[in-house]
Amino acid sequence: MTGRASKTIRVETLARVEGEGSLYIKLMGERVADVKLKIYEPPRFFEALLRGRHFSEAPDITARICGICPIAYQMSAIHAIERALNIRIDPSVRLLRRLFYCGEWIESHTLHVYMLHAPDFLGCQDVIEMARDHRAVVERALRLKKIGNRIVQLLGGREIHPISAAVGGFYKVPTKNQLREMVDDLEWALEASLETVRWTGTLEFPDFEQDYEFVALRHPDEYPFNEGRLVSNRGMDIDAAEYEDHFVEQHVKHSNALHSVVRGRGSYLVGPLARFNLNFDKLPEVAQKAASEAKLRPPVKNPFRSISVRAVELVFACAEALRIIREYEPPALPRVEVANRAAVGQAITEAPRGILYHRYAIDDKGLIIAAKIVPPTSQNQKRIEDDLREYAARLVAWPQEEATWKCEQAIRNYDPCISCATHFLKLTVERAEADGL
Amino acid sequence: MAGRLRDLGVEAETRTGEASELLEAWRGADHVVLVDAVETGAPAGTVWRWEGWQINFPTRRSTSTHGLGLSEAITLARVLDRLPHRLRIYGIEGRQFEPGTEVSPEVKLAVEEVVRQITME
Repeated sequence: MTGRASKTIRVETLARVEGEGSLYIKLMGERVADVKLKIYEPPRFFEALLRGRHFSEAPDITARICGICPIAYQMSAIHAIERALNIRIDPSVRLLRRLFYCGEWIESHTLHVYMLHAPDFLGCQDVIEMARDHRAVVERALRLKKIGNRIVQLLGGREIHPISAAVGGFYKVPTKNQLREMVDDLEWALEASLETVRWTGTLEFPDFEQDYEFVALRHPDEYPFNEGRLVSNRGMDIDAAEYEDHFVEQHVKHSNALHSVVRGRGSYLVGPLARFNLNFDKLPEVAQKAASEAKLRPPVKNPFRSISVRAVELVFACAEALRIIREYEPPALPRVEVANRAAVGQAITEAPRGILYHRYAIDDKGLIIAAKIVPPTSQNQKRIEDDLREYAARLVAWPQEEATWKCEQAIRNYDPCISCATHFLKLTVERAEADGL
Repeated sequence: MAGRLRDLGVEAETRTGEASELLEAWRGADHVVLVDAVETGAPAGTVWRWEGWQINFPTRRSTSTHGLGLSEAITLARVLDRLPHRLRIYGIEGRQFEPGTEVSPEVKLAVEEVVRQITME
């Protein structure tokens, strides 16, 4: 009788709050018997919290969902409500919102590329070990991230829990001089981002490609942040208002979170790879050139190469921030007064880790009667499971610890917001031999 | 707490606790005091005090998917020679960490106690 290896890979969170997320993979021989990814979703709590609150409170309440991407939550909330109430904003306000998003992408992508993802590729336990051997690289990351923070702080009105963005515009807008003071830093950041693309291009990537449905916003004139139609490489081309006709959230037994799928098709991928593949032609020349030099050409189907694609998006965010600052004239009307009326509105914006959908129903007093929030990680959740189903089958012969680390790295390709309350994951690998199974 | 300290003339800021931000926040400062909520199993409101140069964190593979916190900030600062000359950490034992829950009376009292100790430093 030939024994067949049965291996269980379990990635469990040790949460500060409760058991929000975990990964369970069972391998039987070379076959993946089971993959279960559980993710806790704070937005569910916030959907209930929003009911009965005035629409003007939604941006600040939803910004609390995520400590890393509060701007994304503010932007989706603001645009959904403005679409509901048919608000037209000053063109300079629109530019400032793009600049605000540039700041968040710089912060978030730098954190993920350098401090969370790169250690995997360098064989380092974490960024602390990486700092011992690659001190200059970590110093570069800290300076880059600080520049993103500075943009967010200036437009958000304060360091944490930004409060300046509002339905209709901004409570306070920067002067031309305040923005111009950031030019030197951003020029340095642009060079550092180009170096980031070159540096990530030297990393070794596993040979792993999948046939994804990529989903991202697409705008006729620009790389997407706040506006555009939702498109995919399988022919989808819809308005945000049609989102719930095309995507469905499914309950799965093993998780209290909902799995989002394309109706009639299945899992899909949102985030940097999707944006890059669907909007390469909208990247500025400097970012396209950097991508080409790093041998990144759409469609990139290897999720491990997302680290390089994030670096290309860093180049874009720095170049775009510089463009906006050079063109900026303070808005004549920083904030439009918005009257209460009953309406429903939806919006999708591009959070650093993918599309973020918000829908609000508002009554005639301006109170929210229903809110729906679909964050990028819950949209990628099923796709992460599908990747692991393929990838884990290659890991049967790997030593226990490395197999687990590899699986975790595969999850990290998606920069998942498993829970902002979850500070780290504890990995447990169980191995067993089973005969004749 | 930051507001209470500022009212008393102490330079104080609220931070997310994300490691790289903390490193930047204390850059160039000689004497830094950090205050954070902790969960060790002790009664709510228990006040802990550690010194930055001597505090040790459990060795574990840092496998965060989303961020690095206070312990990583201190360890990374040691590696990059960015630890303030004097770093004191106050931990206030919390009871409930769920979103939307109120601060317990025990924790409110502990906040006042830590404010008192910081202003005496």
